[in-house]
Amino acid sequence: MRLPKAALLAASTVLVMPASSVIAQNVEPIEYTLDNGMKFLLMPRDEQPNIITAGWIAPVGSANERPGITGVSHLLEHLLFKGTDVIGTSDPELDAQYREELTEIREKMRAYTLDVQYKRMYAGEIDNPWDPANDTDELRAMRSEMTAIQDKQAEITIKNEFDSIYTGNGASGMNAGTSNDFTVFYINIPSNKLELWSWMESDRLMNPSYRELDAERFVVIEERRQRLEATATGKLDEQFDSMFWVASPYNWPVIGWMSDLMAYTEDEIKQYFETYYQPANLTGVIVGDFDVEEAEQLVESYFGRIPNKRPKAAPLVTHSVPLLGELRFSGECDCQDQVEVRYRSVPFGHPDEAVFDVIAALLNGRTGRLYKSMVEGDDIAAQASAGNRSMRYAGSFSFNALPKGDAELSELEAAWYEQIDRLKNEPVDPRELQKVKNQNAADTFRGLQDNSSLFFQLAITEAYGGYEYLNQQPERVANVTPEDIMRVAKEYFGANERAVSFYTRKGGGEVVELTIEDVRASLPEDMAGMLIPQLEMQIEALQQETDASALQAQVEEMDAQAGMVPPDFQTAMKYIKQEILKRIAEIESGETGNEGTEGGDQ
Amino acid sequence: MKTMMTIACAAIAITGTTLTFADDIPAHPSDLDFAPLEFTPPEASDYRHELSNGVPVYMAPSDEFPLVQIRFSFKGGGYLEPEDKAGLAAMTGQMIRTGGSSMMDPSELDEEFDFLAADVSVGVGGRSSSASIDTLTSNLDRSFELFMDMIRNPRFDQARLEVLRGQALEGLKARDDNGLAIALREFNYLMWGEDHFESIQPTRESLESITVEDLKAIHDRIFDPANLMISVTGDFEEQQMLAFLEEQLSGWEMGEEVPDVPAPTHAFKPGVYYYEKEQPQVQVLIGHRSMTRDDENAIEADVMNQILGGSGFTSRITNSVRTREGLAYTAGSFMQTRVEYPGIFASYFFTKTPSTALASRLVFDEFEKIQTEPVSTEELETIQNNLIETFPRNFESKGAMLGIFMNDERTDRPEGYWQSYRDKVRSVTPEDVQRAANEYLHPRDAVILVVGPWEEIKKGNADSEADPNRVATMDEFFGGKATEIPQRDPESLEPIKE
Repeated sequence: MRLPKAALLAASTVLVMPASSVIAQNVEPIEYTLDNGMKFLLMPRDEQPNIITAGWIAPVGSANERPGITGVSHLLEHLLFKGTDVIGTSDPELDAQYREELTEIREKMRAYTLDVQYKRMYAGEIDNPWDPANDTDELRAMRSEMTAIQDKQAEITIKNEFDSIYTGNGASGMNAGTSNDFTVFYINIPSNKLELWSWMESDRLMNPSYRELDAERFVVIEERRQRLEATATGKLDEQFDSMFWVASPYNWPVIGWMSDLMAYTEDEIKQYFETYYQPANLTGVIVGDFDVEEAEQLVESYFGRIPNKRPKAAPLVTHSVPLLGELRFSGECDCQDQVEVRYRSVPFGHPDEAVFDVIAALLNGRTGRLYKSMVEGDDIAAQASAGNRSMRYAGSFSFNALPKGDAELSELEAAWYEQIDRLKNEPVDPRELQKVKNQNAADTFRGLQDNSSLFFQLAITEAYGGYEYLNQQPERVANVTPEDIMRVAKEYFGANERAVSFYTRKGGGEVVELTIEDVRASLPEDMAGMLIPQLEMQIEALQQETDASALQAQVEEMDAQAGMVPPDFQTAMKYIKQEILKRIAEIESGETGNEGTEGGDQ
Repeated sequence: MKTMMTIACAAIAITGTTLTFADDIPAHPSDLDFAPLEFTPPEASDYRHELSNGVPVYMAPSDEFPLVQIRFSFKGGGYLEPEDKAGLAAMTGQMIRTGGSSMMDPSELDEEFDFLAADVSVGVGGRSSSASIDTLTSNLDRSFELFMDMIRNPRFDQARLEVLRGQALEGLKARDDNGLAIALREFNYLMWGEDHFESIQPTRESLESITVEDLKAIHDRIFDPANLMISVTGDFEEQQMLAFLEEQLSGWEMGEEVPDVPAPTHAFKPGVYYYEKEQPQVQVLIGHRSMTRDDENAIEADVMNQILGGSGFTSRITNSVRTREGLAYTAGSFMQTRVEYPGIFASYFFTKTPSTALASRLVFDEFEKIQTEPVSTEELETIQNNLIETFPRNFESKGAMLGIFMNDERTDRPEGYWQSYRDKVRSVTPEDVQRAANEYLHPRDAVILVVGPWEEIKKGNADSEADPNRVATMDEFFGGKATEIPQRDPESLEPIKE
């Protein structure tokens, strides 16, 4: 029987713009489900001859973890490249024996560390209980024992055999990715190697070895350093995220907390794998130049043999709770000053997701509102952008900006709130809205031009709930109205349900207090002689002032006129402002000036 | 999806009768047989056309989507920039795109392109420049008219220049925030000198000095039909497109072709260099100058580098530093070539401070091993098969294929290179690999650059390592001598005087 070829291009005109037409795309892969529940999406496409992008996705990620095993989804992803019972070793039996010995010593070291080393940490004797530099003699002995077994195992290990089999067969770009919600494995293979792919992937799903677990822990720790700790803002971002998500399991990092990376046992990993990577939980996706019938036979015989070993994974119980106030976070890093304002948006597939996408598009780009108002208009931002991120269980919408020159982060924050007010209160101009819709329609095509981009869109939307969303999104965007935008802005962008972060450059935030001598030096000589005495009198008079709000009004007036101050007087103005602010602080903290300071001991 | 479900069920029923398949599954993938992969590399001449003024046009249509992509590629780039104007070339590209045209001011032009959903980009790179448009076929006439006016008559709006300058100046402040960016900058300085276009960096002074006149001067030299090649992909008909381009480009006067890329004159000094930065992970680059693209041993040297560190998990450095010892997430090597002069070979890895010396030792061990021992046939075959079987990927998309043709024409790639490539790869022997390793790797004359806290890096891992065979310090390299690269002011890049 000959199966009909998948209709990649069932094109239909849905939307018209004045000058021309935009056509919507229907992506229609062939669905194929095995008896064990594993589903396949097959998408034959011959525009890129001889090549296939193939892979599979599991709807599991860090959100399925719990404290103590954070990061295990990601470590498991790494371990699935370590081979299987037969791939990666020259002596499967001896290898199994070493793996058992290692499991045993690892359990001993873990129990010891959680007891002795953690107590030492809580007592303040050491900082990191897992750092080998803090080993006690007993632990050091155990570690030597472990290293000795690992070295013996290494002699029969064929390093990276899983990778080199693929490499030697013309595969490329083998990789995988873990997110909060899914884990995806993919590779590009020549058209004649679909059976190799089926062999390799079904084998690692049936018989993973978790070999080299301990070395891989350290690789992941280096990855954590590389991605988070050695980047300008990585460490702060992690804590800001954590604060923002409150109860949701999105509140720990995908890569995991450092303590947990060192602690997983092989049992925990295995149990996790067997629960979430059973065939009934997986979707395979094949895109490119292949024969559908052949592909179906191959996946049937290779993936069809994988059993489901455990009951279905329990659904996620804890969902996010709304923010009940404004959260503020400030930190210092080796980074440019920057501000973020973040709100809760909606989960993937929610009817309002398309509205958030349109709002982000209205704000971004050189014809977007942020560039026009902040980068070009007020000239206060070097960069400003907004974005919606709808994940499986919840979403967030962020505004991010870097200031330009002397602009303060608070100015950028205020400018953002003006944009929000506009979104809430002014219906968007029809042409502006049409522009965003036109771009979305054209970009939909652009995203389908390449096998791997098509692969990711199919796999990820399927993991989030169904690839059909790919065909619904363009229409949903096309249907967004100006009223939708105002409604969503009012509903989600409230002042008491947001998180704001200010990052400032380490060491850059120390304000050096100006003195009257600084002012004298900044003025032209002839001016200084006249102005300095006046200034001194003003400052003295200031000490008699007790009305903070009058002073505040004075500061505001100075700010309003700041642009008109000639360069020669800038320092003098700053000095006056500094002294007024000091005085306001004194008044507000109850130190009411002269009478207080002269009172002496009581 | 109802019909699809029926199809799926039918298919299961069919294959159900052939379930013997599962019993045929071999115990190891090496027992699988594959149909041969038929592939003949495409010939540039099948895609090449010429306008009446001599401008080459490469075309490869496809009607999969109602989009068309036209790409202009120009000879000429950053190497044409005056020495005291670093950053000018890149800014010229941005300003052509964002600074308006003769017909429209900057925001009108942006609005129009955005409304038409046309993706337009312009870039001036180090050695070549490009301008491209990706637009709905139905909008081609209108959007291409705007595109041509922008390329030929950019307005270089002063206010937009100030926005870009401001952004670039803000960017300078962040220049020392990222250890990898520092490592690449300093490594390039050591290899090429500080004023060659391969390594030169903008400064506050150079950015502040850029004027509209400077932009115009660079634009006039590069964006000229004398330097131009065109490629077209997407939904169009060839003869119509050719006539369309002929008409659109008529009246664009042919000027003078720009000169070739200048070779660097700097000679690098081997040794250990360090740039002090407080960070938990150290970036390390170990390398020296390499070879030219058309060197007669380039393929042997590439195979050698693939085995050494250029092919991810399958290569030796990744195996040793990452997989076996767990010292890094990223570790490997690259052999970069240049058409006009030798490029750079380097090994790289990022590791925690105390293991810098140990990981460096492992990399030097691999240099030595590949120079003194022939590689195994198995290792060699894996790489050969990979290069041969991934070869079609070079021509994977039509855009990539035409990109290769244009680059080959511009750089005079020897005739028949692609046609004979796979045979040449197949004929490489273990002896060839060893010879290439001795000829093109120079561990004794390499630069080792580390970015991180030097006092701790130098000490190595004696405090934290249980196994004495795995203890290493930086004293192992170049007799323990090391040169400090002075901290630079991020805006001027001048060394900061203590």
